[in-house]
Amino acid sequence: MARKRAKAHAAVPPVTTVVTLCLYIAGGAPNSVKAIANLEAICQRYLKGGYKLEVVDVCEHPLRALSDRVVVTPSLTKLSSGVPANVIGNLSDTGSVLAILGLCAAELP
Amino acid sequence: MSLEAHQTVPTPSASEAESAFKEWLRRLVRGTAELRAFDAGEIDAVMDPSSGNAILLHPARVALQRSSRLLLNAVDALPCEICVLDSDGTVVMTNQAWRAYVSAHAGRGLAVRDGLNVFAACSQVPPGERASAAAVAAGLRLVLNGKSELVRCEYVHGSPRGQRSFTLAIAGVRTDGSLHAILTREHVSEGASPRLAVRADRADAKRIPATGLADVPNRLLAALPSSQRARLLDGLESVTLHYGEVLNEPGEAIRHVHFPSDCLVSLLTVVEGHRALEVGLVGPEGLVGSRLALGLNTSPIRALVQGTGTALRMTAARFLQELQRNTELRAAVLRFADSLMGQISRTPACNRFHMIEARLARWLLMTRERMPSAQFRLTQEFLADMLGVRRVSVTSAAGALQRRKLIHYRRGIITILDQKGLEAASCSRYRHVRLAAMALT
Repeated sequence: MARKRAKAHAAVPPVTTVVTLCLYIAGGAPNSVKAIANLEAICQRYLKGGYKLEVVDVCEHPLRALSDRVVVTPSLTKLSSGVPANVIGNLSDTGSVLAILGLCAAELP
Repeated sequence: MSLEAHQTVPTPSASEAESAFKEWLRRLVRGTAELRAFDAGEIDAVMDPSSGNAILLHPARVALQRSSRLLLNAVDALPCEICVLDSDGTVVMTNQAWRAYVSAHAGRGLAVRDGLNVFAACSQVPPGERASAAAVAAGLRLVLNGKSELVRCEYVHGSPRGQRSFTLAIAGVRTDGSLHAILTREHVSEGASPRLAVRADRADAKRIPATGLADVPNRLLAALPSSQRARLLDGLESVTLHYGEVLNEPGEAIRHVHFPSDCLVSLLTVVEGHRALEVGLVGPEGLVGSRLALGLNTSPIRALVQGTGTALRMTAARFLQELQRNTELRAAVLRFADSLMGQISRTPACNRFHMIEARLARWLLMTRERMPSAQFRLTQEFLADMLGVRRVSVTSAAGALQRRKLIHYRRGIITILDQKGLEAASCSRYRHVRLAAMALT
């Protein structure tokens, strides 16, 4: 039985997990600009092409932020795969960002 | 307590306000991460559930105001004239250069001030500007109705120094759901004679996408290896150039390079108080703007379209990038620049020592070489400008060539009847230029 399941599992084509992220910012405010730059650097280094990032400006779309229960900005939310999680601030702490992405810096290249 | 210490310690009211804000934030948030980020100064805004708005924190508000001021100062510092219109066509912002233009040309050339409506201004222009203004109004409607993202209109108006023409670029920009139009003036030509003014029928002129370089008519591009040629495709766009259009003015920065496909561009020296004199001719064998390859970003001469047709053009910035990574292109452009310098350097001697008849024959042959047909439209007045002589001298020289059955000239249409005979009649400059051109290919 166990062998059968193993075979069936092997027949399934490999699936690439795409992480969906949403970053809430306040226009061109300093921490928001830093958050975008930090997040893009982290995604390019650790996720390569395996992510989707949506940037929401709360000054332009305040109702969207309220309906998503965002209280402060910058705020990063992971929307896909696993438990929803978020990081507050300018995302200069790479470890916190990797933690919500479900990645550990020590295991990565 | 010293004055310095007073300045660094928050006043009681500021401290109280911060405490009250933090208390309010504590009631709003679920966890402590928000408060930690607040204490670390990493928060820009807090959402206020009662008003439904984002409240910017003081440092963020100050930074945004500073960047807005910087942006406005940067727009003011730009040398090109910029005017922003709202969706009704009313001027909501102008830069320093535009305001200076308004002061210098009050009432002429759509010199509209802040708060005025451009549609209203278009209907109140002097009689000589009505056709141009109508074209601008039509183009502006296209942009503000969202039917076109970019429209270019030619505008001709009177000025104390004669006729003045420019291209008005109207671009649409959508911000916060509303559509604005940005007006910029390009290719301003001061003191151009009326016959050199660009036609005002190009209100709907749009950029034509470059379709491909497989059959590119420009010989300099066509001679590049196909792999390098394909890389250029991305940065090239096809444009239609009209008779009389000015691509570069002396002293102005080169914004685009043009690779003529089936049009001709004259290079003219402009001496104050005198008529412009042609010193070079560029057609499908080369490009206009080759000085960029020499590390020079301004043009000392006027580049004037004298044969309507199409060209491929590239922004100066992109062209410089391509020159750095495309060695074949750089070599080809430098070879062409060298041949052009040879062409220009022989002009003074040609004008000083050669008969007008020989110079006219040379000029007709150079034009023929760059045009697909042996018949082209040239007025005697235009030829007089190109050769730097009086019109009566052109009439006499053209008559002499016609009597020798080398050309046929009637009502501005010149037909070359005997190419070899015309070569024999031409001055030696043509043979030098031809040899140089042959060396390029």
